[in-house]
Amino acid sequence: MGLLTFFLDLVVFVGIFGILALSLNLEFGFTGLANFGKVAFFLLGAYTYALLSQIGIPFYLCLGLGALVSALFGLLISLPALRLRTDYLAIVILAFGEILRYVVRAENIGGWRGMVHIPPVFTWTGSLLTYRLENVGLVFVCLLVFFAIAQLLANSPYGRVIRAIREDEVAAEALGKNRAKYKAQILMLGSAMAGVAGGLYAQYQECVTPGMFIPMVTFTVWIMVIVGGPANNWGVLLGAALVMLFDRGANIAKDYLTLPVDPHNLQYILFGVLIILVLFYRPGGLLKESQVKTKASEIARYARDTDNNKRS
Amino acid sequence: MEVNWAQVLFNSAITGSIYLLGAVGLSVTYRLSGFPNFAHAEFITLGAFISYFVAEELGVGLPGACLAAFMVAGIVGFLCYRGIFQPLSKRGASIIHLMVASIALGFVLRHVINAVWTDSPYYFTTVTFPSYHIGAVTTTSLYLWLVFSALALSVGMHLVLTRTEVGKAIRATSSNPDLALASGINTERVIGITWFVGAGLAAVAGVVRGVGTLVNPMIGWEIILPIFAVVILGGIGNYYGAIAAAFIIGLAENVGVVALMAVGLSAEYRIAIGFLILIITLIARPQGLAMLFRRA
Repeated sequence: MGLLTFFLDLVVFVGIFGILALSLNLEFGFTGLANFGKVAFFLLGAYTYALLSQIGIPFYLCLGLGALVSALFGLLISLPALRLRTDYLAIVILAFGEILRYVVRAENIGGWRGMVHIPPVFTWTGSLLTYRLENVGLVFVCLLVFFAIAQLLANSPYGRVIRAIREDEVAAEALGKNRAKYKAQILMLGSAMAGVAGGLYAQYQECVTPGMFIPMVTFTVWIMVIVGGPANNWGVLLGAALVMLFDRGANIAKDYLTLPVDPHNLQYILFGVLIILVLFYRPGGLLKESQVKTKASEIARYARDTDNNKRS
Repeated sequence: MEVNWAQVLFNSAITGSIYLLGAVGLSVTYRLSGFPNFAHAEFITLGAFISYFVAEELGVGLPGACLAAFMVAGIVGFLCYRGIFQPLSKRGASIIHLMVASIALGFVLRHVINAVWTDSPYYFTTVTFPSYHIGAVTTTSLYLWLVFSALALSVGMHLVLTRTEVGKAIRATSSNPDLALASGINTERVIGITWFVGAGLAAVAGVVRGVGTLVNPMIGWEIILPIFAVVILGGIGNYYGAIAAAFIIGLAENVGVVALMAVGLSAEYRIAIGFLILIITLIARPQGLAMLFRRA
């Protein structure tokens, strides 16, 4: 029983981080935007949920408003940097995430202690198993919705435009695509997804503290996307599962192993080394970029196959 | 509330000097290697810890500790470039991949430092400085030395960049790498030198920050945002712009804190001031102050 509830807890985390990985995949994998401040939008969603749910607003509204607030900030913060080079956007968003953490620490919303007793979505019925199962259900419904959106986007004409912007901004612009508009839309969508993930996280943990939203969170999501395979929605979900498993495994292992190095530090060092190795030897990730699936491409493949059959 | 403006001005010079030391290397390597090195913060941290180790645990004085910090961080910076960033860009890594690699490297360096020492703060005890009162300003000789060194560095670097062979090679590589290579300049060597010197200077900034306050693994990351603001405001790779920007942001932060106190906001918002300047720069003048110093 203990093992099962432990596993379900892991599954909830995979779901929440899976949503984050999907959102970063839209931004980085498909559009080529370096969002180094994912945690900022995660934080916005979580704090919005925490503040609104405490005054008795129903949870779906809290999640929705969290997504809205995150999306608005995603748009605002990207405005000065979207027309400039990728690296400016990276610096601005990274800075935004850090500032936001200072703001929630300084403001009268719990300060550095954060907020506790956030009302969860599901009332406690006495059984940990039921409670975790309900949360798995909620998180995976959200994950499924976002996965469907991400897949539909990736295989639509819109998806082809954002891939084109990633490959060559100027060429896309020359074909009449307003790159700043597309980038702003993707950042808003990605931030909204991160906001929902933040709300789910806040209600599951039943507390929010500034310490939960350190830059390491952003970096963990980056590892998921890069290891799993950028521009492949299945890949980043695989990446999310692998990284969460590794994280949990390391947490268990440190109770049983005596290492000369503090396991907390060792884990960060291993994460860092892992990502550098992946960038060196497998920059495309575990799964390759997914091909665009449209009616036209299916017909073309069908025609090619029958053609080959005829010849052989 | 009575504000001692002379003290505020002097504090601005201190802040500006630290930012200048921290930003020069980042700005030049950003330009020459084509990506912002987020691990630059850890060179600052490394400098603070090395100087603590040399000055407090080995008992060598602060000048020796400073030199040791410069050398160790310089070598680490050089090795980072040669071992990671140069091979990565040779393999055709995009700027995003290089940035991710630099963040990853930053985590590795910070947590190696954290594992070697611990994250409880260290205080310098054997190295102390007498305080002085000059007019209305109270300071210690450490900060007098710092401001003096920053000014000397500014002039010295100017002479190096304009009068020496290496300096001219750096400027040539910065303005047109291909042409520099075609003129027989070993651009790889030039970039390696700037990584060495840049990381070394960042370490010196870390030494001053560590001696003045305390030493912990976050000491570099805490000031990386204003340092990025200095780099962008000064214009990427622009040495004279960086000097001006460092003191502008130093001044803005110290005056800003007085203003924050006056309106009753937390001084924790100090970090947001550099960010605000960064945003305004990107909207109004994304090339930074670069064009004002065209002679460079």
